[in-house]
Amino acid sequence: MRTAISRSRILAVVFAAFTALQAGADEPAGGTGLYTVVEGYKVDPATMKGFRAWRAGACDRCHGANQEGLVGPSLIASLKVLTKEEFVKTVTEGRLEKGMVSFKTSKIVMDNVDNLYAYLKGRSDGAITRAKVEELKP
Amino acid sequence: MRVTLGYLVLPLALTAAAGVAQANSDVEKNIANPKNWAMQAGDMYNQRYSKLSQVNAANVNKLQVAWTFSTGVLRGHEGSPLVIGDMMYLHSPFPNKVFAIDLNTNMIKWKYTPKQDPAVIPQMCCDTVNRGLAYAEGKLFLQQADSTLVAFDAKSGKILWSVTNGDPSVGAVNTNAPHVFKDKVITGISGGEWGVRGYVAAYNINTGDLVWKGFSTGPDDEMLIDPSTTTTWMDGKVQPVGADSSLNTWKDDLWKIGGGTTWGWYSYDKALNLMYYGTGNPSTWNPAQRPGDNKWSMSIWARDVDTGKVKWVYQMTPFDEWDFDGINEMILADIPVKGKMTKALVHFDRNGFGYTLDRTNGALLVAQKYDPSVNWATHVDMKTGRPQVVSKYSTAQNGPDVNTKGVCPAALGTKDQQPAAFSPKTKLFYVPTNHVCMDYEPFAVEYTAGQPYVGATLSMYPPPGDKHMGNFIAWDAGTGKIVWSKQEKFSVWSGALATAGDVIFYGTLEGYLKAVDNKGKELWKFKTPSGIIGNVFTYEHKGKQYVGVFSGIGGWAGIGMAAGLEKDTDGLGAVGGYKELNQYTELGGSLTVFALGN
Repeated sequence: MRTAISRSRILAVVFAAFTALQAGADEPAGGTGLYTVVEGYKVDPATMKGFRAWRAGACDRCHGANQEGLVGPSLIASLKVLTKEEFVKTVTEGRLEKGMVSFKTSKIVMDNVDNLYAYLKGRSDGAITRAKVEELKP
Repeated sequence: MRVTLGYLVLPLALTAAAGVAQANSDVEKNIANPKNWAMQAGDMYNQRYSKLSQVNAANVNKLQVAWTFSTGVLRGHEGSPLVIGDMMYLHSPFPNKVFAIDLNTNMIKWKYTPKQDPAVIPQMCCDTVNRGLAYAEGKLFLQQADSTLVAFDAKSGKILWSVTNGDPSVGAVNTNAPHVFKDKVITGISGGEWGVRGYVAAYNINTGDLVWKGFSTGPDDEMLIDPSTTTTWMDGKVQPVGADSSLNTWKDDLWKIGGGTTWGWYSYDKALNLMYYGTGNPSTWNPAQRPGDNKWSMSIWARDVDTGKVKWVYQMTPFDEWDFDGINEMILADIPVKGKMTKALVHFDRNGFGYTLDRTNGALLVAQKYDPSVNWATHVDMKTGRPQVVSKYSTAQNGPDVNTKGVCPAALGTKDQQPAAFSPKTKLFYVPTNHVCMDYEPFAVEYTAGQPYVGATLSMYPPPGDKHMGNFIAWDAGTGKIVWSKQEKFSVWSGALATAGDVIFYGTLEGYLKAVDNKGKELWKFKTPSGIIGNVFTYEHKGKQYVGVFSGIGGWAGIGMAAGLEKDTDGLGAVGGYKELNQYTELGGSLTVFALGN
């Protein structure tokens, strides 16, 4: 499992960088190479998978359709403080007392936890300017 | 492979039918005395009406706080306490505390805090609410979140028995109040957003033994449906449902994870020996994945209380595309319908239609919009009983990954679980409503046991051109018309109370308890510590009438209140609305009790 995740993580970064070059992005790629975004909502395929995992996990029910928080905290704010490791641990184990689901048994979320991180980091960085993203066409 | 639980309980059901039970005389005695508030709705008809009249339209403006009590729990406080004699019994959201308070001293006689696995907290859709307790024959019943149903000795708090009603590991948890009808305590299940297959179950109040269990979907015997004697409304008349009425309406085995949960308020007609309740949404929220009518999700059910056998069933929203759960309360009232005195069942559905049926046989009599903004269907065809869907607002016709915009009502419904009241004096229904629309974008999801199974992204906002998000209305169920409507800034998510004093009470999300007269004129209001999603109740103690309500913002209204905040995908101007709620209230559960000043 761990190997699979880190491999997809590497692919995501590499592919994101590749796509950015190819697309000749008219805005600088945001963040630290985690994701590529153009015009605020067109994202690389890996980040798109992160968005799909966000939807499949029904994360919006607690964190809000725009990640700004509802009964759960704002992820725009949380992703500025959480380390990647803390993020992965929280998604995997949950924070049951606070109402955070353990997604350990959710294949789509666990397979895409790095992509999910990239997507949410992009939202938190302000580089991805709206919650609903589209896949960047080459 | 079909699940076989239904086969197991059917013989038990028949056994129970043989021994005639008359154990509800204690509850009947308690509810007949208006000094008590002995059931969650005050009675078995779900009328939420009190014969007390010491507080009335002439003096209600002199109501003052008599006493208050903190539950020590945050999150949404739905339901209400019960009062039987000198005792008040209170519940709280998770961890589902129970308090027995002596009204003579206002002291806690006993309290109980269940130990529950915190894993159930994230599984509770729409906040960790609990809708209250039931009381019968000196026993108090608590339906815990983790699905454990507990019976206490009401005097001592000693646990008499407890049973496990569901499997929380797959998302089958509970929020509903248990209901005692005859010698049975009847409960349901939540988890429509986790693919839980809904059911109602009846347990013996003395032993906790399962008497019968009827599923909402699947094979006839597991639903306790008899294809030849169970009826429904078809082609303008009441007819037998026929064989496999549920199985025929699902693709493959999807009924096994098909929802139809049962977390609302149940009612009971002693003369007919029938209990009434509704079933919730089919799972998932992405309609493309589950073609068919998805019977019997979204339906009104009449079951024999002794056997669970289904007398009749009526589906309001076949093939749901909007999450319009049908669980809202069934109110029983004997009223003129189109000029003829009728044993009616009145139901204000999430889908925005107010339904009046003949409760003896399920004949459809009236189905009209109780908010003019409802737009997803033009009307209900009275012959087929089916709503006529407007293509533009059909999330199935528009398809997955398409955002269907401007659907009214929102998934919250024109009304959610917050129960309405009926006054036998005015023959009108007083209904707390939501005035909210939505964008709904379904998408494909895969089922994993114990993981969310939703499949749609929603945003909610007031109807275009409106700034208010709620109405408190009076409804004539005999004609299907709004008699008056009073605007509220936010959804009215509090159960109403009608009284013989010609005053109707309800709470608001800002936290006001309000009193209006029979014409809807506001007579009095008081700001409680937090937003109100609890139900107003009244009782008399030592010659004085008290009116009480839980405050404690939360629930779907409290969660949903920020939905639509900073909508960045359209220009509907939705930013106002719920966002402002933060300026009025904060979390915190307490009971506030009022009486007339001396």
